[in-house]
Amino acid sequence: MIGRDPHPDDASGPAVKVHVTQGESHVSSDPNVVMTTVLGSCIAACLRDPTTGIGGMNHFLLPDAGDRGKDGGDAVRYGAFAMELLINGLLKKGARRDRLEAKIFGGGKLFDGLSDVGASNAAFAERFLRDEGIPIVSSSTGGLSARRVEFWPASGRVRQRLVAVDNAPQDVRRSTPAPMPAVSSGDVDLF
Amino acid sequence: MPQASTISVLVVDDQLTMRALIRNALQQIGFKDIREAPDGEEALKNLLAKPANLVISDFNMPKMDGLALLRAVRSHPPIRQTAFVMLTGRADRELVQRAVQFGVNNYCVKPFTVQGLKEKIEQVFGQLT
Repeated sequence: MIGRDPHPDDASGPAVKVHVTQGESHVSSDPNVVMTTVLGSCIAACLRDPTTGIGGMNHFLLPDAGDRGKDGGDAVRYGAFAMELLINGLLKKGARRDRLEAKIFGGGKLFDGLSDVGASNAAFAERFLRDEGIPIVSSSTGGLSARRVEFWPASGRVRQRLVAVDNAPQDVRRSTPAPMPAVSSGDVDLF
Repeated sequence: MPQASTISVLVVDDQLTMRALIRNALQQIGFKDIREAPDGEEALKNLLAKPANLVISDFNMPKMDGLALLRAVRSHPPIRQTAFVMLTGRADRELVQRAVQFGVNNYCVKPFTVQGLKEKIEQVFGQLT
C-alpha cells in the first residue's frame, strides 16, 4: 500500500509511505520513501546497501519454523524464498550483495501457548543472515509486545514503537501465516 | 526406472541456504551424488572438469545467471546433453520461453516442495526409484 504524507523529519519533500504487509517485500532508494509495517509474531527484515542507499523490507511469518530440522520442511523453504525475493530485488536495483547489512524486527510472543512461533521465526532470520554472510547491525526481536516499524531505506534509519497487545491491530494479534504459494499455483508449465 | 542414487547432480544457487535446502530435498528423493556451485561461472568450470547428469540451477545469480549457464552448457559438446532444470522464484513466462529456446528440460518455481521437485525431475528422467 503506498500513500503520501508530509513527514516532520524530512525536509526534502513529502514522505511516501509504503506499508509492507505479510508476504510482501518492497525495495527502494528514494530518500522520501518510508516503509512501514506492524509486527506481532512476524519478522520484518530490513536489508540495505549503505553505499548506494538501496534498501528494502520484507514481512513474513513461518509456521513452526524451527520444528522441521535444519534444512528440511516447507516452512524453512518458504522463509528462504521470502529472503531471496528481497535480496534479488535489491540486487536488481543495483545493490551489492557483499555490502548488504540487515536490521531485523518482530518475533514477539503475543499470547500464551506452548510454542513460541515468534522466537522460531527470529531464529530462522538470524540463522539465514548468518549463513549468507549478511551482518545484522541492529535487531529488536522477541518480547511480549507488537511493534510498529518505520524504515527509511535511503538513510537506513529505523524507528520502532512497541504497541501493547490490546492496542495492536486485530490481524497482528491473531497472526496466521500467509498461505505458502504451492508449486503448481505459480508454475509456468510448458512441458 | 532410473535410480536417483545413480544420477549425479550439480546444484547452482548464489544463496548458501537455498543450496542446502535443495540438497536436502534431493537427498530425500534419493540422490546421493550432489555437488554445489555458487554461480554460473563456477558451475560451468565444475561441469567441464567433471560432467554431471543433472543441473538444477537458480536464475538470478551474480557473474553468470542461470540462462547464460544454460546457453553455455548447450554450446559445449562434452556437456551439452546434461539435463537442466531451472529453479527460480520468477514465474516469468518470457524467461521460461527463452529457457525453452535454449534447451531447458524443465522449470520449477520457488518455493518448491520435495514432491514438486521430484515430479519435475521425473518428467525428465522418468519415474525414479
